Amino acid sequence: MGLLDTETGKRRLLAVEIPVIEKYNDGRDPDYRIRLNRVGGALVLAYALKPGHNVYQIETRLLSSYPTVPPETRVLTPLKHCPHLLEGQTLCLWRQGSTRQTSRWDPTKFTCVFAIQAVWRWLACYEVWHETGDWPLPEAK
Amino acid sequence: MDFRPLSELERRQLVTALRGNADGNRVLLVDRKDTSFAGTAEDVPDEEVIHAIKSVPCHY
Repeated sequence: MGLLDTETGKRRLLAVEIPVIEKYNDGRDPDYRIRLNRVGGALVLAYALKPGHNVYQIETRLLSSYPTVPPETRVLTPLKHCPHLLEGQTLCLWRQGSTRQTSRWDPTKFTCVFAIQAVWRWLACYEVWHETGDWPLPEAK
Repeated sequence: MDFRPLSELERRQLVTALRGNADGNRVLLVDRKDTSFAGTAEDVPDEEVIHAIKSVPCHY
């Protein structure tokens, strides 16, 4: 759809994504707010999460094919190699390149903030795995 | 990063919360200022959903 260069994409951005980002940032400490940057044809959300005692710096990319294709998220803070972590510290949240028919990412229901919530939960699992060696959630079927 | 681990009690609480969330019966509450774990609830009103993690269908 072309998030930044088509009318449909711009409408999605202005009517759905920007309002939820503003709501997410409302009342939040500045260090934890979402900052938006345009990088080529992608929109990059930079933010921090702290599910336990550690702060993780994160980048979530909304590619031009977003929201049909789910966002890609990588952790900038160095991590130990662990389950569900791909090359470049990209998180395995949804099957990459999958579409609505084959994955659980639903572009009609989910927003970029939903993706951030998925990242929070991933990091919470990582905090547990770091100490125990066990990923606390079973892999989705 | 100097990793600061959870205490055993904190870890137990977080694991219980994560599994309850994955089973679909608990909402994870997230502190609105610094995103730290703030417990669980059975449900939250719609206007609070941005500060709470309901069902998150993911691969992991």
